[in-house]
Parts: sequence; structure tokens; C-alpha cells
Amino acid sequence: MKILIIEDEKSLSDAIVEYLDGEGHLCEVVYTFEEAVEKIELYQYDCMVVDINLPDGSGLDLIRLIKKRSITVGIIVVSARNSLDNKIEGLEIGADHYLTKPFHLAELNAHLKSIHRRISFNGSNELILNEIKLIPEAHRAFVLDQELVLTKKEYELLLFFISNKNKIITKAGLAEHLWGDHMDAADSYDFIYTHIKNLRRELLKKGCKDYIRTIYGLGYKFDLT
Amino acid sequence: MRLLTKTTLNLLSISLFIYLFGVIAFYYSLRIQVDNNVNNEMEKRKQSIIRQMEEVHTSNTQPPTRNEMVVISPVETAGLADTYADTLIFNGDEKRYQLYRQLGFTETVNNQNYYIRIYKSLEETDRLIVRIIMIMTILVILLIVTLLVINRYSSQQVWRVFYDTVDKINRYDLNSHEAFRLEESEVKEFSDLNRVLQTMTERIRNDYLNLKEYTENASHEIQTPLAIINSKLELLLQSGEMNEKQYKALVDAYEASIRLSKYNSTLILLAKIENKQFPESKLVSFELILTNLLGNLEDLIRSKKLEVVTNFLPYATIQMNPYLAEMLVVNLVKNAVRHNVKGGKLAIEIGQAFFQVSNTGPEQPLDNNLLFQRFYKSSASPESLGLGLAIVEKICALYGFRVSYQFNEKMHCLRVDFV
Repeated sequence: MKILIIEDEKSLSDAIVEYLDGEGHLCEVVYTFEEAVEKIELYQYDCMVVDINLPDGSGLDLIRLIKKRSITVGIIVVSARNSLDNKIEGLEIGADHYLTKPFHLAELNAHLKSIHRRISFNGSNELILNEIKLIPEAHRAFVLDQELVLTKKEYELLLFFISNKNKIITKAGLAEHLWGDHMDAADSYDFIYTHIKNLRRELLKKGCKDYIRTIYGLGYKFDLT
Repeated sequence: MRLLTKTTLNLLSISLFIYLFGVIAFYYSLRIQVDNNVNNEMEKRKQSIIRQMEEVHTSNTQPPTRNEMVVISPVETAGLADTYADTLIFNGDEKRYQLYRQLGFTETVNNQNYYIRIYKSLEETDRLIVRIIMIMTILVILLIVTLLVINRYSSQQVWRVFYDTVDKINRYDLNSHEAFRLEESEVKEFSDLNRVLQTMTERIRNDYLNLKEYTENASHEIQTPLAIINSKLELLLQSGEMNEKQYKALVDAYEASIRLSKYNSTLILLAKIENKQFPESKLVSFELILTNLLGNLEDLIRSKKLEVVTNFLPYATIQMNPYLAEMLVVNLVKNAVRHNVKGGKLAIEIGQAFFQVSNTGPEQPLDNNLLFQRFYKSSASPESLGLGLAIVEKICALYGFRVSYQFNEKMHCLRVDFV
């Protein structure tokens, strides 16, 4: 997937690129509004990560420009301003997601993956990973063609794992993805464990290999290696 | 004591003092004047008596009226000086003593020495003096009373601006968005005072706003570096080239930076509520918010084995900002869940114009004064930010809701009244 990252903070965009490169994406980075417009006019991208506060313009204007030209591209907005108005405006003019800085790279990655699936297969795709098959549209998961009995949270957990396979996922990142802002990370650690335990049990029961590794004190890893 | 009362009392006591002295002095000077007049009259009378005596040669001449008596008696000695005196003479008709002025002198008529005393009644003049003094007293009292009333009235007019200023300063709130305007006064001192106060508050307000803006900007600017720190740490975690000790340090740093960003965004939220940056307002159903929230918190509630009792008044809505309504409910319920004990109870009630969350928890009641302060934490949960109830309080203050805490039957109860 070709991704354009528009973020003026070089250290941050470097970190995003490094994380996403490992996922097999092709990332390009620009630091200004001007450069972004140039790139959009010349090349085709699958997805864009846009910072709202750019030194020479607003990321929101960039999105408006893209929509005006009817360019099909997934858009994720990142902003330091946790403003509801900005969020609503961003989503209204056509962004797919709105992330507030600081965000977890795993979270950004999961959103990119979901956009990718939607764009490339019009949503009616299957996600296949060794013996595991997911139908995201229907929220169903299979192992060796037997359907897994999962709660909504357990399904989301599996999808998040698969989106960030072979990466260490921190408990904080997991908690935020599954329960959003309302839950303080510390509260949710206990029952993250419960959900993981249930998910792993269900996977093993259907004959799946044990991919979920607990990394002590840190989090989890969906390890395919 | 008010300045007006104080000046009035001063004025009153001084004028009464002066008046008292004035009356006494007036009485005596009047007395002297009257005596002089009477003396003069008696002097004339003396001359006429002497003339009469020389003409008629008779003694013991009695004047016809009681007011002016003359007593003539022959004596040996002569050449005594004229003597004036006041004396009391018994009045047989009225059976009482009356005051008379007396002039005694000797006169020689036809080689016979006479001692002559002329009496003149002071009854009339005395009565006159008393009357004059009474009228004067009444006049002076009237004068003082009128002065006091006028003084009081005009003072109130003059001081009104001052009291208005005091009242406005008293109600002044740095956070309010209303301009601080003081009334104009014709009195120079007051207009000076108001001018100085106005410049002063303006300066303080500007300093305050600058400082606030600075903190808010700082909070926003902190978010980007935090994002960099978080993402770099996350990348570092993926590298997989570290020993356990290094991992541990990394995780601690990572979690601390996440906590920091949570603090930061919550403080930004508090500042925004204070700045009234949530103008949108519509009818919000707390029941809807609660249903969603309880779904979200299901895992947490189940892991704590809490018994949840809900009692919702159907179709209850409240006019407010939907996001703030959510923050209000979320923070109250989350608190009640977090500080609960395993197997405890959680009761949520929506009633006519109130919302109430009760929960089991620590056996002791919490300190009502500290509860809503920022960063107040009970020792039982060091992980919490200590900002949840501060947000609740700010939202309630914004809308004029009353939030109160009670501890009864081992339940901690937080109640919001939408008054």
C-alpha cells in the first residue's frame, strides 16, 4: 500500500515511516502543505496520514482539496488539538479516522489496515493468515474453516493482533484500541488478560497454533515467526 | 460602622454640645441685658419718686400696682450708694414667692433722711426669657434635624457610586468574560478611585489571560513532543535487541509518557470548560449515555463483580452540551466503578432534575472539601489521575448545577442537581 505522510514534525514522521515500512507499506513523507499538494497532483496514493497543523496551511484544507478533485484515498487525520469541533469537521469533510496526538503506532497501523481492506476489496474481503481467516465485514473469524465463537471484544482483539502481527503491542495500546479514551489503561489491564486468555483458548481449541506470546510486563505479540 | 453614621453622630454630638453652651451663655447675656433695662427703668423711677417726695412730703407712699412697689422709711444715716439686688417677695394672692428686682437708696428730703427701696417684678421678663429660649431650642432642634436629613440624603447620593464600586469589585471574577465597568462619578475622589481600579483590574486581567494562554499553548505544544516520545519508545520496543532490564526501563518510560499525555489532555479539557468553549447545547438523554457507557464498562464491572442497580426516570432530558454531558456521566460512573470494592454495589439513578451515583468503597467518608480539588487522590488508587471529579465540578459550575457528596449506609453518593 502506498502511503503519503504529511507531518511537519520530522522525528514523528520518521517513527511512523519506520513502523509502517516493516509492514510492507511504501511510505513517502512531506513536511509542508505545498509539498503535499505537489505530491497529490503527481502521484496516486492509497492512504494519507495528515497532520492538521502544518507550517503553511491546514490539513483540513488539504482534505477539502482532495475531495474537490475526487481523488480516492483513505485519510487519517492526526492532530495535537483534541478538539471535538476539529474532529467532527475532519470526519465530515471526508477523513476516515481522527487520531489525537500522542497516539499509538499500533493504533495508526490498525486503522490503515482497515482502510486498506476497504479500498482494495470494497470491504467484502477475507483476511487470511496461515490457518486463520477473518471476514471483517461480518465480524466473523475462522480457524481451519471452523468458525470461532468470540465476543465482540475478542474479535476486535484478534483483528488488532493480526493487523499488528509480529509486533509488540503494549497493554496501553491495546486498552485504548478496545475501550477508547474512557478507560484508563491501568483499570483495564486485568481484563485484557481475561480476554486474551479466552481468545487463546478458543484459537487453540479449533486447532490453531499458539501465536499469542505474552511479553512480561510489557504486552503481547502475535508471533508468526 | 458606616462612614455616614459615623459623621452623622459626630455632627450631632458636637452640635448638641455647642448648643448647650450656647443656651447657657444666651440665657445669662439675656439676663444681664434684662437686668440692665430694669435697672435703667428703676433709675428713672427713683428720680420721679424723689421729685414726688420733694413735692408732697409724705412717707410710706405705696404705688398702686404690685409690680412696682416702693417702700420709704426714715433713717439716720445718709449718703448710702445705690444698691441693686434680686429678692423674693411673698405674693399673698398667689401664695408663692415671686422674683423682684430691688433698688435701694437714701435720699434727704427737708433734712430728713429716707431709705427708699423700689421693687420691680421680674415675673414677666422671666417668662419672656423662658419663652425665647424654648422657641430657640425648637428652632435649633429643627435646624439640626433638617441638616441631618439633608446631609444623609446627599451623602447617600454622593456615596452611591462608591458602594456600587465596592459591590462590583466584590462580585468581580477574573474568569468572567464580562468587561469590568465602573460608574462615572461627579466626585473627583471617587472618579479617581474608579479610574485607578479600572486600570488595575484591566492589568491584572491581561496578565491573567496571558498566563492562561501561555499554559494552554504550552499544553498543546507538549502533545507533539509527547507523540514523538511515545512513538520512538514504541519503535524501540519492536527492535527486540534489549535485555530484560532495558525492557523494564523502557516500559516504565513508555507508561509514564502515556500518563503524562493523559494529564495534559485532561488539563486542556478543564481549561476549555473554564473558557466556555463548548457553546453547543441541546437536549441530552442521560439514559442513552449511561446505556452506552455501561456497555463499555461491562468488562470492568464484571471483573469487579459489581451489582449494578439502575433507576431511570423515562424520557428525562437535560439541556446542555452533549460532549460535556457525556464527560459528566462518564467521570462519575467511572469513579464509582474504580473506587468500588470487589463484589460491591453500584446504584445509578436519574430522577426529576437530578442524577445520582452511589457506590460501595472505602469504609470512611471522603473529605468533602478536598474531593473536588485537582489531583486529590485517595491512597487506595494511586493510578487514578485525580482529575475526574474536578471535571465534574467544572461542568456543574458552568451550568450552575449543584453537585454534592454524601456518605450514608456505607455508600458514597455523588449527586448532581440540575437547578
